[in-house]
Amino acid sequence: MAVYKRGYQRYEGTRTTAWERLMVLPRYSWSRLITQRLVIAVLMMSAFWPLLCAIFIYIANHGELLAGFGQGFQRFLAVDGNFFRVFMSVQSVFAIALAAMTGPGLIAPDLANNALPLYFSRPMSRWEYVLARLMVLGGMLSAVTWIPGLLIYGMQVGMAGSDWFSKYWNLGLAVFVGFLMLVLLTSLVALASSAWVKWRVVAGALVLGFFFVLAGAAQMMNAIFRDKAGSLLNPIYLLERLWMSMMGIDSPSESEPGLVQCVFALLGLCGLMLLVLERKLRPVEVVK
Amino acid sequence: MAPVLELDNLRVQLGRREILKGLSCRLGVSGEGGRAIGLLGPNGAGKSTLIQTMLGFHVPLSGSAKLFGYDCHRNPKEVRARLGYMPENDSFIAEMTAVSFLRMMGELSGMPRGAALEKAHETLFHVGLGEARYRKLGTYSLGMKQMAKLAQAIIHGPDLVILDEPTNGLDPAARLRMLTLIHEIKATHKMNVLLCSHLLHDVEETCDEVLILKDGLIVHHANLEEERRSNRRFVELELAGATGGFAAALSTLGAAGVDEGEGRWRIVLPPGVEIAALWRLAAERQLQVRKLTYRRDTLEEIFLKAVGHIRATPGDATKPPPLPEPAVAEVTHGRL
Repeated sequence: MAVYKRGYQRYEGTRTTAWERLMVLPRYSWSRLITQRLVIAVLMMSAFWPLLCAIFIYIANHGELLAGFGQGFQRFLAVDGNFFRVFMSVQSVFAIALAAMTGPGLIAPDLANNALPLYFSRPMSRWEYVLARLMVLGGMLSAVTWIPGLLIYGMQVGMAGSDWFSKYWNLGLAVFVGFLMLVLLTSLVALASSAWVKWRVVAGALVLGFFFVLAGAAQMMNAIFRDKAGSLLNPIYLLERLWMSMMGIDSPSESEPGLVQCVFALLGLCGLMLLVLERKLRPVEVVK
Repeated sequence: MAPVLELDNLRVQLGRREILKGLSCRLGVSGEGGRAIGLLGPNGAGKSTLIQTMLGFHVPLSGSAKLFGYDCHRNPKEVRARLGYMPENDSFIAEMTAVSFLRMMGELSGMPRGAALEKAHETLFHVGLGEARYRKLGTYSLGMKQMAKLAQAIIHGPDLVILDEPTNGLDPAARLRMLTLIHEIKATHKMNVLLCSHLLHDVEETCDEVLILKDGLIVHHANLEEERRSNRRFVELELAGATGGFAAALSTLGAAGVDEGEGRWRIVLPPGVEIAALWRLAAERQLQVRKLTYRRDTLEEIFLKAVGHIRATPGDATKPPPLPEPAVAEVTHGRL
């Protein structure tokens, strides 16, 4: 029977599980995001670098193609920790750009439209809401970070064989964990910016500013105080230190902060973002 | 069966101000479903805070608020799974079409995808937005937005629908439509309704019970059904014809009547005797009923009395003070 003829009847059917309810917001957000041309364009662009890296790995593992080149060039084609560090650094730029584009559209419209009371009057807590929004960004950023990273790593393992794997087994773990840390920090920064300001453009600028302006500020502090402690404010530096350490290619100078300090600084930044979300994501604003 | 809402010495503090100061009551005790409770009070009385506490948005300082036996603070998910909320302010996602928005809200409330889509269409037709269901919510007029908010509150068929100022900004036709829908929600679909409104007439038309708050305290809890029933016991009658023996006839009904001269009578009917009995009595004695009125304690009077603007209901013999003209509603032959 046509809907308009049927009339309203109270729903008394089955109810979905908590997990299915949690996935509702990510599903709707993903379906909205993949209709945006700019997002698709960035996703496509972010696939070029992994593609180039794949070609690089193919060439590096086919010695017959390099017969005419000298030893220097063959050393340049070595697939090791440095190769994956460069791969991760380039991909992280795409990840940050993607987060700056998609993140602000996740919470800011809900705040601008006063939609939070509608979400929180349903069986959904504030932290479930944050988790759902994190999953949106986590899913998007995974497509440009650890998924292509592990594919590249798997390709190299497949071509180079078990000897290479036994020597560089830690690189796969470093790619996965390192990218996960990047995804977590970037997503939290994007969500916090989105919750902090209601204008998307400004929120997007905040995300970029967090990574690039803070890096500049850290350099300035280092120059002013003639020290390296300011680097603890630079999220890109902190992430790279973590990656390099896991890859076994970390060789900091004595004046640079230690790895443990870097990890705590990263966790501190994540905590700061969670604090912003905790303060901003309220179903009602209480004027004290 | 647990009452719809049970407050036990509920105190809520926001900042340094105590907004709710020890509320205790049980509302919707019948447990049959389809009860409408009105929440009234002057500005700043704590109505919105009470609603938000029921939704689990505020942590009580002490005491508890329970909906259907579930503590709103300790079991927020169980509570929220059973209710639908229509906020007072604009609250939606402007870039979504009404169908997508309702479907998403249905799914968030625990409906499977297919059922949510079906119900989204069904509910939008029900509230009169069927033809506009593929339009973005941001393009809706104020009245349409109110209807969309109502639709999202009832799509999942909750046990309790909380409506915060549902008729705000509606023109008379839309307001009537909204009130009809609210009446249908409780009478036909057996959902309980908690209606918070400044418009006393809306509450009077739709609610069975009313809770009046003032300065964070409950100043009155009235069962409107019982009030209406008891008010119908006080009748003023104007008869034409020979009224001799009418007093004796009244006593056969168990009613007491005073002849005020010129065919005018003041009558108090006993509980269980309806006004129709007077019509029968007059008809049996060939008396012509010129006028029949009964006192109606309007909600406005109850409200003003509760918040202290008047000391007692006009015409209420049990309370001494001023007795202006009683508010009466004329019951015509046609209406009976």
